[in-house]
Amino acid sequence: MAQKGDLLLQMKGVQKRFGGAIALRGTDLSIRAGEIHALLGENGAGKSTMLKILAGVHVNDGGTITLGGNAFTTGSPEAAIAQGIAVIYQEPSLFLDLTLAENVFIGRQPMKGAAIDWNKAQEEAARLFSELGVPLDPKRQARGLSIADQQVVEIAKALSMNANIILMDEPTAALSASEVERLMTVMKSLKAANKAVIFVSHRLDEVFAISDYITVMRDGATVSENSVSATDLQKVIKEMVGRELTELFPKTENKIGEIALEVSDLTNPAFFRNISFTVRRGEIVALAGLVGSGRSEVARAIFGIDKYTTGSVKVNGKVMAMGSPVEAMNQKIALVPEDRRQQGLFMIAGVDRNISMESFDRLKGKLFLNFKKERALTEIWREKLSIKYAAPTNPVESLSGGNQQKTVLAKWLATDPEILIVDEPTRGIDVGTKAEVHKLINAAAGEGKAVLMISSELPEVLGMADRIIVMREGHKVAELSRKEATQEKVIAAATTGSKGA
Amino acid sequence: MKFKLRLTWDTSILALLATVWIAASLTTDNFLSSINVSQIFSNTSEITIMAFGVIFLIITGEIDLSVASTLALGSSMLGWSYAHGAPIWLAILICIAVGTLCGFINGFLVTKVGLGSLAVTIGTLALYRGIANGVLGKNTINEFPDFWTGFGFDTIGTSFIPQSLPVIILFGIGFGLLLHNTPFGRRTLAIGQSPEAARFAGINVIKHKIIVFTFTGFMSGIAGVLYTFRFSTAQADNGIGLELLVISACLLGGVSIFGGIGTMWGVIAGVLLAGSVESWLTLREINAQWRTIVTGILLLISVAAPVLINKAKAAKAKAANKS
Amino acid sequence: MNFLSRLKPRSREGSLGIILVITVGVTGLINPRFLTGDGTRDLFTSTAVVALLAIGMAPIIIMRHIDLSVASTVGLTAWFIADLCAKHPDFTWVQCFIIGPMIGMVVGILNGLLVAGLRLPSLVVTLGTLYIVRGAVYVISNSVDYNAQEMPPSLLDLGQKVFFGIMPFTFLLVIFAMLVTAWFMKYRKAGRDCYAIGSNPHAADLVGIKVFRRTFLAYVFSGAMAGLAGVFYLMRFAQVDSTAFYGQELAVVAAAVIGGVTIAGGSGTTIGATIGALLVQTIQGGLAAIGVDAFWKSAINGFLLIVAIYADRTLARKSESALLAQRIKERA
Repeated sequence: MAQKGDLLLQMKGVQKRFGGAIALRGTDLSIRAGEIHALLGENGAGKSTMLKILAGVHVNDGGTITLGGNAFTTGSPEAAIAQGIAVIYQEPSLFLDLTLAENVFIGRQPMKGAAIDWNKAQEEAARLFSELGVPLDPKRQARGLSIADQQVVEIAKALSMNANIILMDEPTAALSASEVERLMTVMKSLKAANKAVIFVSHRLDEVFAISDYITVMRDGATVSENSVSATDLQKVIKEMVGRELTELFPKTENKIGEIALEVSDLTNPAFFRNISFTVRRGEIVALAGLVGSGRSEVARAIFGIDKYTTGSVKVNGKVMAMGSPVEAMNQKIALVPEDRRQQGLFMIAGVDRNISMESFDRLKGKLFLNFKKERALTEIWREKLSIKYAAPTNPVESLSGGNQQKTVLAKWLATDPEILIVDEPTRGIDVGTKAEVHKLINAAAGEGKAVLMISSELPEVLGMADRIIVMREGHKVAELSRKEATQEKVIAAATTGSKGA
Repeated sequence: MKFKLRLTWDTSILALLATVWIAASLTTDNFLSSINVSQIFSNTSEITIMAFGVIFLIITGEIDLSVASTLALGSSMLGWSYAHGAPIWLAILICIAVGTLCGFINGFLVTKVGLGSLAVTIGTLALYRGIANGVLGKNTINEFPDFWTGFGFDTIGTSFIPQSLPVIILFGIGFGLLLHNTPFGRRTLAIGQSPEAARFAGINVIKHKIIVFTFTGFMSGIAGVLYTFRFSTAQADNGIGLELLVISACLLGGVSIFGGIGTMWGVIAGVLLAGSVESWLTLREINAQWRTIVTGILLLISVAAPVLINKAKAAKAKAANKS
Repeated sequence: MNFLSRLKPRSREGSLGIILVITVGVTGLINPRFLTGDGTRDLFTSTAVVALLAIGMAPIIIMRHIDLSVASTVGLTAWFIADLCAKHPDFTWVQCFIIGPMIGMVVGILNGLLVAGLRLPSLVVTLGTLYIVRGAVYVISNSVDYNAQEMPPSLLDLGQKVFFGIMPFTFLLVIFAMLVTAWFMKYRKAGRDCYAIGSNPHAADLVGIKVFRRTFLAYVFSGAMAGLAGVFYLMRFAQVDSTAFYGQELAVVAAAVIGGVTIAGGSGTTIGATIGALLVQTIQGGLAAIGVDAFWKSAINGFLLIVAIYADRTLARKSESALLAQRIKERA
């Protein structure tokens, strides 16, 4: 049993690349028994990659990892578990039809002779739950349990497997305030048992409330490691974003016209409340905030894929019916979705068929589609957007991420929208294509379109937007003009209650 | 990669069909005779008609096991109403209407109530045929106007072309165009390829699926009409077991059970393949039940082959990477 | 739909039992003979085959698969055993009880290899084997029928044997199989793995559950039960031709689903499946007693299946909306 303060885990100079992209360029992390250690950084800083390496999902390409003095066996989740490392993911995946006790002991049920000893399993599970300070009924089904409770079950499972280090990947993202309180109690009891907790979070208030140590990462490297008393909120924010903002994005000044899109008091109680903003012609409005803050849901509500309970969406001054994407398209709205693979594209269909998906009216005669026109359309957009593919009928699956994103853009730009909503337009794309996409968005605004851009990448937000709206946990918390916006202000608004530097 | 494979699948089926025809004509006397070819088309006519509807359904990722029962119910209602004095054209309309209603109910249960199509159509398979049983019991109605039984059974003039064949060909062309050349067809494929992306593309998935289910029912109703007249019999047992043949034909024809992929000509080839094999066996005087075994084996092959081929390809690629 | 909300998953079997008792009672009111010793015995006798098949199919459905080939396997086994007995008059029931399941297991192994090994969709695979086995019966049997004379007397005697005036030997075996399987599914890791696989196939893989092994063995088990059911068939009908038990696969699925083995996977017990089989049979009997034509039989089966699925879905919807309400609270 480790003593409080013993060095449990040490990562030194860890490197990891995925294909051409560098995720970690030499990171360090030290974890001692009985400490709660927060891992901070923006999206893409490398925090998840660090966790996944420890969890055995990825193998590091360079650097050393020692666990309790010995080399850490990487690359296998089973090995990670055997070495005392457990991961709690943001979305726990329990067996909903089984009881809590069974979930805790899945695959390792206690036996009495030839039969499973359910009494023992239930007693043990109950003991673990009470140790963690959360009285759950081990005999109940996992179905219907809140995410917060499911997490507790996962933690209990980790304990029952004698985990010494518990990794939590954004555990509080889906939790309410009271559930976060409870999770903190759980973390404290883990600390009291001399376990170590490494957690990734964006809610900086919480981080400062519960952590003993904070490590900040940026662009794949460790920027600092401090005890919580040796640092503060402002310092941490500066470390998270403190890059030089080079002008990667040639922002063109467009003529800004009348209000094209007006969202008033939009509410869907499960996702967002009282959202109001406007987007004018020629304007690029960025919707910033953390993952889970409700931005994509707002976009989907505007486009009619989801419904909302109160509020209204007005296009050119006229209220638009809700819940109908067809109506939204009639109003010349286009939505380039967040997940291009699952939502934006039909992966096994050809590039041509993907591009033509929204343009049937223009491609058909009275009844039938004109294939020649379809090929022409594909060719037009291939040229306009420089989409690279071997043949237009090749499945879009075979294209690179950047070209896939361009295909989605082509599909929607082909409808000649007046209001263009793009959700994370450059996620997972190489730098070169990123710049191209930015140019396209700028050009769209230049043509007089009203652009609403959802993005979690600060440089992109600050470089492209005329106005920045920040959402946090379903509420709109800030609206900044291009002039007054800084990275610190945006992050502060997105993650804390304070106003930032 | 999958898409490419399917293109070769269609050509393989056609090649297989050609092979069977060649082999059959070499090993029997009359395979390619006009009478026999006519028989093949006749015998597969109901299956083909129902397949025209089912193909859309499977492509959207659903399934309908109740098509043959719908056929039987429609046929029973046709017979029953005719026997109770309705004019023949009304009886025919009733058959088609009943079929359409059955399809709609399936669609409703699956989309609006949210029940899985496998379970639901297993239930309606029993329910619809059961109602047919209840309506007719052990009775059969055999007396139908000659014109109509001629339509089902006879050939055009002295040629070998069954009278029903032009109708089927028209349907085939029509639905083939619907699937391959219209927005409706594209949307059908889209829903099967990615229901979520289809939503984001503005497709009303529920409405579309209800239409497809209803349409399948409609086709089953038409198949019911044809079946009744071809055999001059309306009875509750009509078409028992045909649903499996319909689905097998579609799968053989390259329609993926997972949805999103399928061609009309592939399905037609699949139907003809099954029918040709049966004909071959019959001419060789082999027990007709060998057909069941062969269909079963063909069905298994049609699902297993893509998986095995992909595995082989992956293994090859792995080996190539290593060297 | 009040009673539905009280059907909590864990007491589903309990609720079903109550429904069964009520249904039996109602049927008894209509047809008093139903409640006599004879009536009860007949109920058990007529349910035995379907119940055994439902028990065999339960683990498969729990794992989100299906086995449509069971009915054909029953026919195959029944005919094969009859054939063997005709050729070996010295056979007793012992040989039948051993060979029957073995024949069924051959089919089960084929299904298992294709579904578990190649990961092919079970609907299509077992549709294919249904066809193959059905055809095989026709071809092999060559339209030869067998009847009582060719059966071993010891087998037929067992078919007639009744305990306590109401419990036929076959159903006694069904109860035995039900209890053993139920114990296995509740108290053995292999049994619990089935539930995990059906509840969350992806997570089951991650946790290290041997998905192939469990799936494969479940199909072998189903095949064995189907084989045994074929022997039961012989014992009951004392005759067999090539169409034996034709087309009953859906009755089995209906019995299981009605018995709480949800088609979505992850839940259900063999006890429920057995009660489901009895329930279906009782309802049939009751309706027959009212004078509903036997021809409505499959309609009733179909209707019951749809009702059962609907009930399942309603329950699922309830927990979904509870979760949504919670989310709304959180976001406030």
